[in-house]
Amino acid sequence: MSRLPLAGIRVADFTWVWAGPFCTLQLAHLGAEVIRIETASRPCITRQILPWPDGKPGINRSGYFNQYNQNKRSLSLNLKTSEALDIAKQLVAKSDIVTENFAGGVMDRMGLGYDVLKQLRPDLIMISLSGYGATGPERKHISYGPAQVPMSGLSSLTGYKDWPPMHVGISYGDPNGGLHGAFAVLCALMYRARTGKGQYIDLSQWETSTALVAEGLLDYSMNGTQPARDGNHDLYMAPHGVFPSVGQDRWLSLAVRNDEEWQRFCAVLGRPELAADARFVTLTARKQNEDALEAIITEWTQTRTPEEAAAQLQASGIPAATVANAKDLSTDPHLNGRPIFVYNEHPEIGVKQHIGVPWQLSKTPLPVRAAPTLGQDTEYVLRDILGYGETAIASLRERQVLT
Amino acid sequence: MAERALEGVRIVECGQNVAAAYAAKLMADMGADVVKIEEPGRGDLARQRGPYPGHIPHPEKSGLFLYLNTNKQGVTLDLRQAAGQDLFHRLLKDADALIHDYHPAEMASLGLDYSALEKVNPLLVMTSITPFGLSGPRMNDQATDLTSWSAGGITYLNGGGPGTEEMPPLKPFGQQAGYQAGVNASIATLGALFARLSTNEGQHIDISTQECLASILEFTFELYPYMGIFASRLGQKPIQPLDFLECKDGWIFLCCVEEHQWKGFLDVMDNPEWAGEAIFADRVNRGANWDALKPLLQDWIQEQSVKDLYDKAQAKRVPIAPVSSMGDLFNNAHLKARGFFATIVHPETGPLQYPGEIYKFSESPWAIRRPAPLLGQHNAEVYGRLGLSQAEIENLKSRGVL
Repeated sequence: MSRLPLAGIRVADFTWVWAGPFCTLQLAHLGAEVIRIETASRPCITRQILPWPDGKPGINRSGYFNQYNQNKRSLSLNLKTSEALDIAKQLVAKSDIVTENFAGGVMDRMGLGYDVLKQLRPDLIMISLSGYGATGPERKHISYGPAQVPMSGLSSLTGYKDWPPMHVGISYGDPNGGLHGAFAVLCALMYRARTGKGQYIDLSQWETSTALVAEGLLDYSMNGTQPARDGNHDLYMAPHGVFPSVGQDRWLSLAVRNDEEWQRFCAVLGRPELAADARFVTLTARKQNEDALEAIITEWTQTRTPEEAAAQLQASGIPAATVANAKDLSTDPHLNGRPIFVYNEHPEIGVKQHIGVPWQLSKTPLPVRAAPTLGQDTEYVLRDILGYGETAIASLRERQVLT
Repeated sequence: MAERALEGVRIVECGQNVAAAYAAKLMADMGADVVKIEEPGRGDLARQRGPYPGHIPHPEKSGLFLYLNTNKQGVTLDLRQAAGQDLFHRLLKDADALIHDYHPAEMASLGLDYSALEKVNPLLVMTSITPFGLSGPRMNDQATDLTSWSAGGITYLNGGGPGTEEMPPLKPFGQQAGYQAGVNASIATLGALFARLSTNEGQHIDISTQECLASILEFTFELYPYMGIFASRLGQKPIQPLDFLECKDGWIFLCCVEEHQWKGFLDVMDNPEWAGEAIFADRVNRGANWDALKPLLQDWIQEQSVKDLYDKAQAKRVPIAPVSSMGDLFNNAHLKARGFFATIVHPETGPLQYPGEIYKFSESPWAIRRPAPLLGQHNAEVYGRLGLSQAEIENLKSRGVL
């Protein structure tokens, strides 16, 4: 097999929950050896919540953890003991990258701040992912993923017309921060490859989320105004929305991008007279008469399944897709015809479908391994990376350092 | 002068709208040299989407375009003409990566064919961002940001809610599918460029927007393979409070996940009597009885100001957040202190504030070196570097190649 892009790069991964582990998942996908430092007395929240196979809980059974920690190793350390902290430092000295997403100041209090760690490894790259960032008057504030959506400005722009601000449905600030963090680490690796120098990266999830509402911010910057919430509409396309279909809570999303597509759309609907209807013939007209337009489209969509309607529209080159739920995705013939799903044996839950790597690299295909059980790689790390003998490991185990 | 993390990395971008442009912007803002190719005449589609100053459309003043194309050089080139392809190949000979987001159906006619481009430059990393990827039964389906967000499974999780089931699933503001595909593409591309330092070979990267989105469904994707169920926007949240509430001067998002956070918020409220009711005893009960709890909270919260409540609750370690408006963000003292917003001077719009430094690097910082390019602004400079004379450039212009 070809050498993986980050082969030989080791990550001492102190992150937990979603943002940090999603950052290191990207590095693991690229072939880095990511070692999650876990503590049995305070396991990652994602090990403790749904989904569990057969509804039976278990520290190694959650689909949340098992999805976002594929390709990683797990080292179990009781970081309340000084010996465990010392082991963590030894691992840092043998690592290229340290990642963490604790609240501000926690790593410093454990004696694992960047200033300490860079003494152990001068070319170390360290990234902190936090809600607010490591500087600024609110740096010690506490932030959870769901709260970053309203913080970022996204909620004030998202929602139905004349309704309150709304969410986006996931803790968007977390994966988005994690992805930007992975990109940042790669930038630092490129810089280190050229200069030999490591560095510290301070990433604020608030800021990485706010970066994605640029159209709203630039409107304010230019005009002192912000766009009104307007559901699924688009200023430059009509129709543009989500329409009810046959079936319980089944919906079709569709968009008509220009006047020429509108002509074809009318043909698909079997309503050639609409193509010449002055209320709809141009984008401006369709925007002015959007309610009437949507009523006509709903008549058509509500007598079809979203799959039937999407196929008919796509046959004429018009963007349309089922509003997919997890069952739709899991069983989707298209996704199942791609290499996105992986099926690996996991010691406690057997083989389950997981999402693998959403990028296909032609020369370096990226393999995926099942997520680790808690502490699965403790002996490997101590013995093969840090050079501990069997007796020393047994002694550490006996003294509860490795829990 | 500060050092650039991606100094010397040369990217050619053929971007329409958000995805490829955002991937290349992330790299340009970290110091890569990006040449953006636009179609002569019309240019990038993002130029035709606002916001615009005074809300008056103008292809050089689109806020979306100006934001997504900072730090890039811009050239025009008609890839559908043979002379355009020739120049394209000459540009790629000197490039490390090509990032594009043209639809699979258009790739062949634009010469975006890896097997051909690999011969032009064997070290080239070519990244193709498409709605459904470059294989599979739906690879040729058309998409927009909304239909991609829906096909990726996120739209289904938002909007409506208990009691308002008739309201459709809801997209977020902006073109979020494009941003997500873009940041994924930046990671995969830079990963392949890092690999090249030791393997000395280029490759082709296939990015499916749908797959990038299915990868960020939190725990909700695995609900189906693990338990045979799926989440929807209609159910009660299993735990509360995690909801929007209205103050006298705006909205807040109340978030109490841990018991000590709920207790802290009750302290801020001076521990109302109803808080002792058994139906509010823990976060699961508060979730099940949110219908009863929300009005009690709302009654008190509507008398409070956003800022005051935010400060008091944060002081009790409650992860509450304001629902920021655009003005709130620009005026926020924390973001100001961090220098988040960048003032960028563009020849057509003058100075404007943009979202800026999204991460702080201690050695090789994020930096703005130039504003987004005017259409074809760098034709003379970029094609001059390839050895074209002014007369040759004029000739290509007159034939519509540039």
